Amino acid sequence: MLQRQAAAGEPLVWLSSMGLATGIAMVIFLLGLILVNGISVFWPKRVVQLQVSEDGSERQLIGEIVKKQKQATSGDQEWQLYTANRDAFGHSFVYVPEAAIGEQSQPLDILKIERLEFGSVFGRALRIEQADAEPISLVGEADDPQLQEFVDEATALRAEVTEIEKSEIGRVNNRIERLKRKPANSAITAELASLTGEYEALAQKARKLRDLATQTHLIYEISDGRERSVAIGHIVSFYRPNAMGLSARCGRFLHNAKVFLLDAPREANTEGGVFPAIFGTVIMTIFMSLAVTPFGVITAIYLHEYARTGPLLTSVRIAVNNLAGVPSIVFGVFGLGFFVYFVGGGIDRLFFADTLPTPTFGTGGILWASLTLSLLTVPVVIVAAEEALSAVPRGTREAALACGASKWQTIQRVILPASLPGILTGMILAMARGAGEVAPLMLVGVVKLAPSLAINSSYPFVHLDQKFMHLGFHIYDLGFQSPDSEAALPMVFATTLLLIVVVVVLNLAGILVRDRLRRKYAGSTF
Amino acid sequence: MREAQRVATDQGQFVFMNPDDSQRFQPRRITLLIDRFMTHFIKVGGLAVIAAVMGIFVFIFWQVLPLFRGAEVSLVQELETGVPDALMLGVDQWTELPFVLDKEGQLHFIAIPSGERSVVPINLADDAQPSAFAHVPKTQQLAVGTDKGGFSLVDLNYAASFGDDEQRSIGQDVTVGKRYKGGLADVPVIALDYVDGESLKVAVLVQEADGKRVTHAVTLKQKRSLMGAGKVKVAGNQDISGELEGTPRFVRVGAGGQLIAVATDSGSICYLRRDGREFVKMQTFFPFADSATQEIASLDFLLGGNSLVVTNAAGVNRVFSLYMPAKDAERLFGQTKSFAPLPGAASAYAASQRNKSFLMASGETLSLRHGTTETVRWEAAQSYQAAHVALSSKHDRLLTLDQAGTLYLYKLHDPHPEAGMQAFFGKVWYEGASRPDYVWQSTGGSDEFEPKLSMIPLILGSIKGTVFAMLFAIPIALLAALYTSQFQHPRFRAVVKPTMETMASIPSVVLGFLAALWLGPLLENRVPAVLVFVITAPLASMLIGFLWTRMPPEVRVLCKPGYEFLIFIPVLIGCVCLAVWFGPILERAVFVVSDPETGAQVADFRRWWPDFWGGRYEQRNALIVGFVMGFAVIPIIFTIAEDSLSHVPRDISSAALALGASRWQTAFRIVLPTAAAGIFSAVIIGLGRAVGETMIVLMATGNTPIMDMSIFTGMRTLSANIAVELPEAPHSGTLYRALFLGAMLLFAMTFVLNTFAEILRQHLRNKYKTV
Repeated sequence: MLQRQAAAGEPLVWLSSMGLATGIAMVIFLLGLILVNGISVFWPKRVVQLQVSEDGSERQLIGEIVKKQKQATSGDQEWQLYTANRDAFGHSFVYVPEAAIGEQSQPLDILKIERLEFGSVFGRALRIEQADAEPISLVGEADDPQLQEFVDEATALRAEVTEIEKSEIGRVNNRIERLKRKPANSAITAELASLTGEYEALAQKARKLRDLATQTHLIYEISDGRERSVAIGHIVSFYRPNAMGLSARCGRFLHNAKVFLLDAPREANTEGGVFPAIFGTVIMTIFMSLAVTPFGVITAIYLHEYARTGPLLTSVRIAVNNLAGVPSIVFGVFGLGFFVYFVGGGIDRLFFADTLPTPTFGTGGILWASLTLSLLTVPVVIVAAEEALSAVPRGTREAALACGASKWQTIQRVILPASLPGILTGMILAMARGAGEVAPLMLVGVVKLAPSLAINSSYPFVHLDQKFMHLGFHIYDLGFQSPDSEAALPMVFATTLLLIVVVVVLNLAGILVRDRLRRKYAGSTF
Repeated sequence: MREAQRVATDQGQFVFMNPDDSQRFQPRRITLLIDRFMTHFIKVGGLAVIAAVMGIFVFIFWQVLPLFRGAEVSLVQELETGVPDALMLGVDQWTELPFVLDKEGQLHFIAIPSGERSVVPINLADDAQPSAFAHVPKTQQLAVGTDKGGFSLVDLNYAASFGDDEQRSIGQDVTVGKRYKGGLADVPVIALDYVDGESLKVAVLVQEADGKRVTHAVTLKQKRSLMGAGKVKVAGNQDISGELEGTPRFVRVGAGGQLIAVATDSGSICYLRRDGREFVKMQTFFPFADSATQEIASLDFLLGGNSLVVTNAAGVNRVFSLYMPAKDAERLFGQTKSFAPLPGAASAYAASQRNKSFLMASGETLSLRHGTTETVRWEAAQSYQAAHVALSSKHDRLLTLDQAGTLYLYKLHDPHPEAGMQAFFGKVWYEGASRPDYVWQSTGGSDEFEPKLSMIPLILGSIKGTVFAMLFAIPIALLAALYTSQFQHPRFRAVVKPTMETMASIPSVVLGFLAALWLGPLLENRVPAVLVFVITAPLASMLIGFLWTRMPPEVRVLCKPGYEFLIFIPVLIGCVCLAVWFGPILERAVFVVSDPETGAQVADFRRWWPDFWGGRYEQRNALIVGFVMGFAVIPIIFTIAEDSLSHVPRDISSAALALGASRWQTAFRIVLPTAAAGIFSAVIIGLGRAVGETMIVLMATGNTPIMDMSIFTGMRTLSANIAVELPEAPHSGTLYRALFLGAMLLFAMTFVLNTFAEILRQHLRNKYKTV
């Protein structure tokens, strides 16, 4: 039976429900915002051709509509257009007042060409010019396979050049470096000479291949009627955004996503992919969890199995909570002062004295970053592992002891296996925390562009001293340090989406495993 | 049948054992050993957490400590120069070949440490004889006034050379330049000073004619072109005697030849500034007008030539700097610093080439002081009276020379003269500033820049960001926690908690990026809408709650208790729409200013705010930071508060409900007070997180270290400051250590907060045990 008279304080209950609603709405909105913006980066947009008449003069613009907004001072509606062709116009974005826009169309013959340099091109393909053959004129979509053939050939050549430059020349260089450090004698001088010859030959080959890829040019026409050219070797890919059907656009979407995930960045990180950043994040996180898990688990075992109630236990708990609460940047400062300069500098003086003053370990690197972050994430592992330990029923423990197992044997054979999922949870949560942390990394070894990966094919394969790229820092760097932050914005959103997906998936996995464990053991009483 | 035997174990338990089976029940030795080893190993491992926390603090503290040490000076060597009553002491940049100038105008170079001496006479052009000397340490030159008037420049040309054994040796090659005519012709110069300001070189000559002292400012100009430095020519010879009130005692040229300061017998200092081609008198002041002794005993410039170090005959030591006393006023000298008095008049002075330190000798006392922080870095009585002092250009050696001609070489270790309690936490009167202030500005354009390292604006910035974040986060987080734990239907809790924890895991770099590049531009011209939302959302929720309870039961049945928050998602959206619609209307109605240029009325909050409040309006402001950092803190406060609220035993709330209390009364009067300590610790932990948050503030504020609490300006927090400056700070430099000090402050703040919160929580845990 319901009351006629409302209970006291009911409006305040409603007020408190607003608090929760706000919190949930914010999370959903934020994730949605990132999801929509991040995904739409890969979706091939239609390209419009606009007739703009301003101040009595007519001009034609071709581009993607970025947004329509009110102008800040006058309040008039205006369009932001991504016109690309940065080399021709000097800018890639343009604002057009809506009132000035005349005829609009989406011509099928517009080509979007992604280049190695200067961003993309919107234009109409005219012909292919070759060094020693007649130009091939391109008329419509039917000629695309012909152009594609040229591009594929050039791409293969480029891959060959990269291979030579990266691995072969790198290997020769490595050997030269090592020889140079040894005391000079005639054998070494001879070897050096032969290596230098080898190097020259390889460099020659790379140059020749590169020339081959840039001899042929594609001539195209841009929106204002000018003819421009691009070397075939500089074309990454091309497509007709307006001529594509749904399936072709989906294919393009997947292709773009693949490029983003698997390619190296280009153009000051604003184009291409983020593969090195993904790789760096993953490797750093793995090293970190290798360091943090044993430490965290041992502390948890101590707290749960060995420590007795008293001031010592209290102070360990206070220490754990402080480790969790100390700002991450302080860990970065400590990492820089202790790991990089103190320990790394010491290692350099002891083992790498011949390369000083160029530091080997005495500068930020993936090892120091991992160790710094492992300090930061220890509490996460401790808390999760302790929870897992306490979920192991007391009876199990006592049964093991009653069978005559020693305390350590009980822990090793019974308790640890039983709490392994919980420890795994801690590890996952720590990885999520570590993957999202940026501030300390900025001090201990993250860079905007790492020349090579921390694990690669050159000896000794794992380079702990190497600087690395990181998804979180990539966001910061792209959004705040890049010269054209407007052009970088799509990449920032895509990277943000990727980072959020990584972190949220890791977290949800951890939380779900934990909740399942809690439920599993909640009812078990012996 | 074997007989079982009752055996007492050391634990006092009894087990039945077979005498022959004793082996069987004996654990293997190795098992026991491993067990014992692991016990110790795990104990050590567990305590390593304490070690880690302590280690971090101790390491950072150890890095910070040198900042608060004074200078260390130790005597290295005494050398006989054989030059009594010398006129001057100077030193090369390596401190290996100092020189002493004797009364005859000969330079004696003394090699350190061998003590080998070489004598180089100064042979001036035109058969002139030296009559007065000035030392220019910066360019390693001597300016020599002659008995025929005018002056010559003597270059010492110190150079390092490497012998066959790669041993470095320092040599000199004294070259005497031509004589520049200036002042009165054929009248001996009795005092001079000279400054080389690259294109402008100024010398001030004092001569005595007809019993009167005549002072001239001689300007040299050097044309510079792509072909290199051109010829130096005398460009001006201005008689400034008329400008001086009294007989000149000390003349000094400063600021690259832009200003001249002259101390007179009457105890006044005249300040002349270069204005076009002439020097114009700007000011005459009495530096010791308020003290018993007016007589000026020394007058010298600090590095950079914008501050005067003055002492009087009684040893009172003051610094006067150029600053604008009021806005748009002339830059004049005024007293900015007052040092501990010296025992008597200063007999020797040397300014550091590296920083604003200076070394003074008075009687048997040597005193090294720092002009920015107003501190005595080192002071000690010696067994002799120093007649001349010199500081090496690397600020690592100091030399003194007594009347008898003994040279004392000291090692000086003062890596962080700009640091100290006063510099970090006190108001400091920097050069050029019109009053003492708290400023953070660690790097500047020139070598003569004073690092300004006050922590106060950064601490204030941290507090500001935290306050605004907490203002936003506390109400939402606590209300949400209260609702989730007390009112919400339990089936939602399994979803709500992971959602909020997911919110906690969103990397702060993402939030910072959204704050700066999405929310900042979005809210820039929509502040009135935000205002409307902040007011309407809580009001609407209360109103709906009120109306709902007035509804007939048939309607109320539609929303079961515990489902209320679902209704609010559309209500919130409605509030957002209302804010977007009503915001501009409010702006047009209230936030109107008249444009100073056109006189038209403009409705723009961004311009209304400075008009109304006086502060600026910045796009990246504390409102944005508070909003986004609040977002980062909400889940932390929520999780802990919700935990402590739902851990309150059900018996208590059930009892309250059974006695007829409404669910709000139960939650607010019974559950909330019981869990108060836990909620308080949740807030404190959230506070700790907000204080140290780095990426959000780094990205969403302009990072300008300012001292105001306005919501529409940015700030620079301790944490963002570290992130901005530490990657560029040279290892073990003053800035590096100052940033470590910032980290230590952060650590200390959060340590206190977290320890307090943890103690509260443990207290709470014990309390529940007894309930």
